[in-house]
Amino acid sequence: MNTKKLFKPLLAVALSAVMLTVTACGKDTASSGGNEKDADGNYKDKLKISVAQTTEVKDGVLDNEFHKFWMDKFNVEWDYNYVQWDSWPEKLRLWINSGDLPDVASWNYVHGDFMNYVDQGLLYKFPDDWKERWPNVAAAYKLTGLGDKLEELTGGTYILPKPVYYQNKPADPLVNQIGVIAIRKDWAKAVGFELKDAYTTSELIHYAELVKEKDPGKLGSKLVPISYTADDALTNIIMANSEHSRVESAFYKGEDGKFHWGPADPETLTGLKLMQKAYKEGLLNPEFYTWKNNEGSDNFRVKGVAAMMSLGGLASYRQDMDKNMQKNLGVSSDDLVHTAIVLGDDGKYRNLEQPNFWSALIFSPNISKEKFERIMDIIDYSTTKEGQMLLNMGFEGKDWKYDENKEPVSLLPEGTTLEDKYPARFEGLYILGDDFSIVNPAIKKEYRDRAVELFKEKAKLGSEGGKLATYDWDVQLYDSKAKSQASFDYQNEYANLILQGGDLEANWKKWVQSKQSLVQPVLDELNSKFAK
Amino acid sequence: MKPAALGPNKNAKGRSKTGNLFTEIWKHRMTYTLLIPGIIWLILFAYLPMGGLSLAFKHYKANMGIWGSPWVGLENFKYVFRDPTFAQAVWRTLYINIIKLIITFPFPILLALLLNELRMRKTKKLFQTIFTFPQFLSWIIVSGIVINVLSYDGLLNSALQLLGLPTINFLGSEPMFLPMLILTDIWKSTGWGAIIFLAAISGIDQDQYESAQIDGASRMQQIFKITLPNILPTVTVMFILNVGGLMSAGFDQIFNLANAATQNVSQVLDVYIYRITFQSSTDFSFSTAVSLFRSLVNMILLLAADRVAKLMGGDGLFR
Repeated sequence: MNTKKLFKPLLAVALSAVMLTVTACGKDTASSGGNEKDADGNYKDKLKISVAQTTEVKDGVLDNEFHKFWMDKFNVEWDYNYVQWDSWPEKLRLWINSGDLPDVASWNYVHGDFMNYVDQGLLYKFPDDWKERWPNVAAAYKLTGLGDKLEELTGGTYILPKPVYYQNKPADPLVNQIGVIAIRKDWAKAVGFELKDAYTTSELIHYAELVKEKDPGKLGSKLVPISYTADDALTNIIMANSEHSRVESAFYKGEDGKFHWGPADPETLTGLKLMQKAYKEGLLNPEFYTWKNNEGSDNFRVKGVAAMMSLGGLASYRQDMDKNMQKNLGVSSDDLVHTAIVLGDDGKYRNLEQPNFWSALIFSPNISKEKFERIMDIIDYSTTKEGQMLLNMGFEGKDWKYDENKEPVSLLPEGTTLEDKYPARFEGLYILGDDFSIVNPAIKKEYRDRAVELFKEKAKLGSEGGKLATYDWDVQLYDSKAKSQASFDYQNEYANLILQGGDLEANWKKWVQSKQSLVQPVLDELNSKFAK
Repeated sequence: MKPAALGPNKNAKGRSKTGNLFTEIWKHRMTYTLLIPGIIWLILFAYLPMGGLSLAFKHYKANMGIWGSPWVGLENFKYVFRDPTFAQAVWRTLYINIIKLIITFPFPILLALLLNELRMRKTKKLFQTIFTFPQFLSWIIVSGIVINVLSYDGLLNSALQLLGLPTINFLGSEPMFLPMLILTDIWKSTGWGAIIFLAAISGIDQDQYESAQIDGASRMQQIFKITLPNILPTVTVMFILNVGGLMSAGFDQIFNLANAATQNVSQVLDVYIYRITFQSSTDFSFSTAVSLFRSLVNMILLLAADRVAKLMGGDGLFR
């Protein structure tokens, strides 16, 4: 065989290796552009901006008038990355750590991770003068409380915590919107169950028992008396009896000035016992712990086979429920649904004190100055009154108008929502929809009023004899390896406990004991730093 | 002392071993050329990433990279061994995989023997295709099928209800979890696993069967006296390789079939690594420490199985 014959395969191998290397080492060539404007005040250069959000944008949706307005106004082209709810934390972790973060992304803020990312230079550091340059964003940012605290820790701004409420805070103190349930009003009347604004956990279990016994919907084996997922059960059964049973408030400072671990409190056992009772009596679905996302609520609002579901306290949730029931069951939810808050079996109201933020916006550390500024311009506009009206009501004169009392009224046809007309309005990157939902005329006034009423009731019950888990900045902003390691998936841990055979109390004690090697170091650290 | 296998004659001609090696390589240069892509792949994706194992002894910082991150000695291991879930995961992994290995390992051999006994080529091909097909379904699809069949309102429970029998919570039952893993594993992997044994069987000298038939040996006698002894080296190698993977097998299957009710019996090491890597605060050094521990145990198991195979008179992996 001559050398020429050998040369060909060698050349092929060498070329393959070169291509592999080029592919592996290739780097995006970031397009850059200026933010100069023309005489009409329009941006001269078009920028392609990658964005990652949990709003699903289906094919063709970006072609509608609403999205085009934003793209034209700010001369941008979106490279949209839909992040599924279930994989949100994992996907963002991978992107951030691998340096593949899109230009701007919604991130479910985790303090330990945040400190690591800042330490490692994985997040974009804002210019020092950003608050002066984008004052509307700065005003909303200020209300979150978290922004200033983090600046004290890191010496700069690295994230924009998203404000839950901006102009329309419904109650004071602000309590988390979770902990509102919906029951079938017609079935409650049929079984002789009194309609109230607040029920103890046992009262709700009693309602479910009555529905199961009398089956007013004539559903037989299809009936799901309490249609909760594992997370719903944690919120509406266990947290209702033990305010420190959730991950948000598991480590807390007690009245003795020392730190404790909530899942080991006897109140958590009370909640577990009630949950197990509901399961053993067949009130919870036999496989409720396998349900994801909407599977619990769909039994109520889509299939019409559930007597109770976890709703949450936002007016928009109630509106969605109404829409779903009309669409799937052909009924008006107003005749069928009653909403209420849940109390512990001792009659006390429990929930989490709500810091005014939820999740955050983060920027790629490699983002160009032009892109960052363009995105901030978009966010700044979206936080103005004009931007908020556009995001939540559509175009003035076309989708809504001011009435004679200067109140906005929707011009959309009866039964049409803004989401129907302009799906996936992800451009509201910063301020959460909770704020505008309080005043949004596109949502039925009855639903908005009821939501505010329940927020006020929660605040009243919580501060007058109730037990709200306070948002302890010391604990929340404390970061250590031990604390990161002592983070448990409580909803599944509790579900597993109530499903085990044998004595629940003995199993719970054993479980608490088994976690001590991870929990105690955290308690020791917190006690040494922050205890009285 | 035994004479060296290659030595005397060539040394007698006065040529060095290195010279012989290059001569041999040159002689088979086309074969070696074809080996190059495989070797490059192995270096790029198997050996070079091994450098990342140093993370187990470092505090990883993405901006400093793997090599620049500071060394922390055995600190990560201190945290690993403090977590009781880790020890449980280790034992659970070994328990599940040893039982799976004992029960599932003979099935591909059995299937290969049965397929080999089929005389009609078309029927043999058809059955082989049918048995191999499930291997090409991912565990996500298989678990979807299993959940649809076994869930509370699934196919099997609906049938039980029709017959007036009580429903069974298959998916939420701890005692049923391991049998479910074994059955689905056998269904999915047996056909694929049989291919290598079929290949080994096809390499058996046909004269042996002809001689046996002349001597009046029955089909069963031929299987036990000719086929099985001939494929024993392959069986041994496959067994050793399976033992070497005891600490890392089955993540896709277990992760997709487990739920809150079965978490006490399904938390294997791979699921644990996944959870600490992606579901709690990111700590790649910690995850690497756990992975390194897993690889060490796998290596010890592999060497032990190899040694046992040799002590029992068989061929091992390493000569």
